[in-house]
Amino acid sequence: MINIKGVSKSYNKSGIKAVDNLNFHVRPGEIFGFLGPNGAGKTTTIKMIVGLLNPDEGSITIKGFDNQKQPIEAKRNIGYVPDNPEVYDRITGIEYLNFLGDVYQVPPDIRKERIRYFLEMFDLTDAASDLIKSYSHGMKQKIIITGALLHDPALWVLDEPMVGLDPKSSHLLKELMRKHCEKGNTVFFSTHILEVAEKLCDRIGIIHKGKLIAIGTMEELRKGDNIESLENIFLELTEQ
Amino acid sequence: MRVFMSLLKLNLNLNFGISDLKYRFTKEKKKRWEPVLVVLGVIIGFVPLIVFYSIFLNGVFSVGLTLNQPELVLVIAFLSGQLVVFVFGIFYIMSTFYFSKDLNALIPLPLKPYQVLGSKMVVVMVNEYITLLPILLPSVIIFGTRTGQGFLYWIKALLLILASPVIPLVLDALLVLVLMRFINLRRSKDLLSVVVGLLGMFIGLGINFIVRRIPKGNEQEFLRNILTSQSGMIKLISQRFPPSLWATLGLSRQGLEGAGYLALFIVVSILLFLVLIWLGNKIFYKGVLSGQEIVRKKKAFSTEEANRKYGKFSTPVLAILRREWMLLLRTPVYFLNGLVGVIIGPFILVFMFFTGNQSSELDQLISVLQNESLSVYVTLGGLGLALFTAGMNVAASTAVSREGKTFWIAKMIPVPPKQQVMGKYINGFSVSEIGVLLTAILLAAFLKISIVKTLVIIILGTLGAMLLSVLNLLIDVLHPKLVWNNPTEAMKQNMNGLLGMLISMLVLFILAGITILMLIKGLSEWLIYIVLGAVMCIASIISFKGLFAVAERQYMKIEV
Ligand SMILES: Nc1ncnc2c1ncn2[C@@H]1O[C@H](COP(=O)(O)OP(=O)(O)OP(=O)(O)O)[C@@H](O)[C@H]1O
Ligand SMILES: [Mg+2]
Repeated sequence: MINIKGVSKSYNKSGIKAVDNLNFHVRPGEIFGFLGPNGAGKTTTIKMIVGLLNPDEGSITIKGFDNQKQPIEAKRNIGYVPDNPEVYDRITGIEYLNFLGDVYQVPPDIRKERIRYFLEMFDLTDAASDLIKSYSHGMKQKIIITGALLHDPALWVLDEPMVGLDPKSSHLLKELMRKHCEKGNTVFFSTHILEVAEKLCDRIGIIHKGKLIAIGTMEELRKGDNIESLENIFLELTEQ
Repeated sequence: MRVFMSLLKLNLNLNFGISDLKYRFTKEKKKRWEPVLVVLGVIIGFVPLIVFYSIFLNGVFSVGLTLNQPELVLVIAFLSGQLVVFVFGIFYIMSTFYFSKDLNALIPLPLKPYQVLGSKMVVVMVNEYITLLPILLPSVIIFGTRTGQGFLYWIKALLLILASPVIPLVLDALLVLVLMRFINLRRSKDLLSVVVGLLGMFIGLGINFIVRRIPKGNEQEFLRNILTSQSGMIKLISQRFPPSLWATLGLSRQGLEGAGYLALFIVVSILLFLVLIWLGNKIFYKGVLSGQEIVRKKKAFSTEEANRKYGKFSTPVLAILRREWMLLLRTPVYFLNGLVGVIIGPFILVFMFFTGNQSSELDQLISVLQNESLSVYVTLGGLGLALFTAGMNVAASTAVSREGKTFWIAKMIPVPPKQQVMGKYINGFSVSEIGVLLTAILLAAFLKISIVKTLVIIILGTLGAMLLSVLNLLIDVLHPKLVWNNPTEAMKQNMNGLLGMLISMLVLFILAGITILMLIKGLSEWLIYIVLGAVMCIASIISFKGLFAVAERQYMKIEV
């Protein structure tokens, strides 16, 4: 589903590499957790996957589409939720969702049904006709999530999606993620909550100082040692 | 004081993007030429204006001299400078004090309200120097050199110029503070800022109207009249607003008298500033906090309403166009500068050219202009005015910048950049087209232009507006200003807006040049229109190709 080959990125031409020679796949039907300390390069990687940043070297394909050469096709298959919710202030929630429905060309019936479903689920039905300006942080996040999933993309890319969500919403989101993958789709998300990663993810990647230092299922990361928790593994690996 | 200074430093830094510039010059090592180019462009654009203004002031000085009142030139400069600061300051202060996003970060910090207010005030002041210097400096220099003043004069001048924005700005700030505190504006903050903006424009119109009353050809006589007559305009206004008079006398009088007026001016400035600080400390935060709420509809929408709302379906270009319109209409700054300007502009233009107090002269002029042999000039002139209104509009030249931090959405959606800029283009063009139509209709009504010629103005004006909008949008696509904290920065403090106007003027000059050539060659009237139309069409098509190519490249290249 995602295929990352030799990807590097530094923010200014002279500076150090924020992401250094990444190589990995994410398979269809998989929930992939992306872990790493602050400043490790998670957001940078995610932004390159979705096409907000251009890699200095290497290539990324989404469902077989190179996201530099066939950006439009790649984007159709991605639903992205950024780490901080910045949306148009002065349109209402429903106007925002309709805008996205139009640009992703979601047919009216399906659109109506999905918007209803998500708004109901996230408890946003009442707020939908208010300006987004008046939303709380979590409400903005939820409206962005709804917008990102509206066109039912095969790949979800979520940057720390649980931050700012109340327990119920974050539970619902986790359920959504699982259901999405059961249908053969893929979720790629970054998080600092190791319990979530441990319980939810099929595979986990750990990035440190721009380099991928570990990747695999929980089993593989434990290297057969059954007692070790993800927290211990994480702390050990990212020590230096 | 240390806290205040560091806050001030931070604010100035943010305001002028100093760290950003440093970063660009030292770390990024690319695009270094851009800021330089922008500065050059501005200089080239404004130098002629300043030269004309200086020539005008020089004339005023000579008139003043014959009246034995050489300081006339200083009164005019200080008065108009402070008036300009006062009128435009209201809106500026309102947006920096109450609408900027960094307030949310500052309020929780252990800062006194007066520190935040004071530092913001100083930033506004520093910005006003950019407006004031071109107004004040020429007159100060003309007076100083032509009366052969000594060293002391220049010192006094420096002090006065530095202090000159204080009084009008503090008056603005007090007004705004009290308004925001004591009137319940929670529900109507947006409305209020629109009203204040409109007020500013009407004051502008009013000033224009007064200036128009100066009869053509005998300005000297007129100046003499207003100065000597008891109800003279300048005298009247300076009596209502004595600080300008103090500044003038402080500069022009020698010795103790001059020093006295200078001291008076500066002491009053300082006192007013202190009053502001004192009052601000009491009520500033209260006003800010009460203004944070946004009206929310309490009720959820009915099923029927919901059906209607979910049910719409349109193409990506139309969806983007609709979004552009919604944001333009609902954000006060965009609404005022993008839309209201283009509606009021034609009225100002028409007033400027065709109002005076001698209506008989005007009638004469109109009947002369109706002469068939002149109709080609009238039509072409009208076209020029229509395109001028279209070209002064910044809706297109800030269209990408206005997306700001939400630009990630533009990069994420699977809509080719071509189509995205097309949506923006239609929006910007329609705004300009409003200006073209209004100008054409107003001119037709005033000058009794025939329907056929009015149609010519409208059709050619539309073609021209198409061209100008592409070029304006192209500028913004090339180098959008995506980092900003309040919408004012995206629209009014955006160099692209200014560059757009300069480019529009350049295009108008070129078109005018072509037209003059054709007139000299004696081409027939209709051939001239056809050639102009063809030139604008071809230029539009080429520019469109350029716009699309640049958009494809830029939307890919810009990283967020
Ligand atoms: N806009 C930027 N300009 C320059 N450097 C940047 C920029 N954004 C990130 N960096 C640098 O790139 C590196 C990786 O940052 P990134 O945001 O990818 O980290 P992250 O893993 O998402 O961290 P966090 O857990 O804090 O979200 C950091 O060293 C950071 O300083
Ligand atoms: Mg991050």
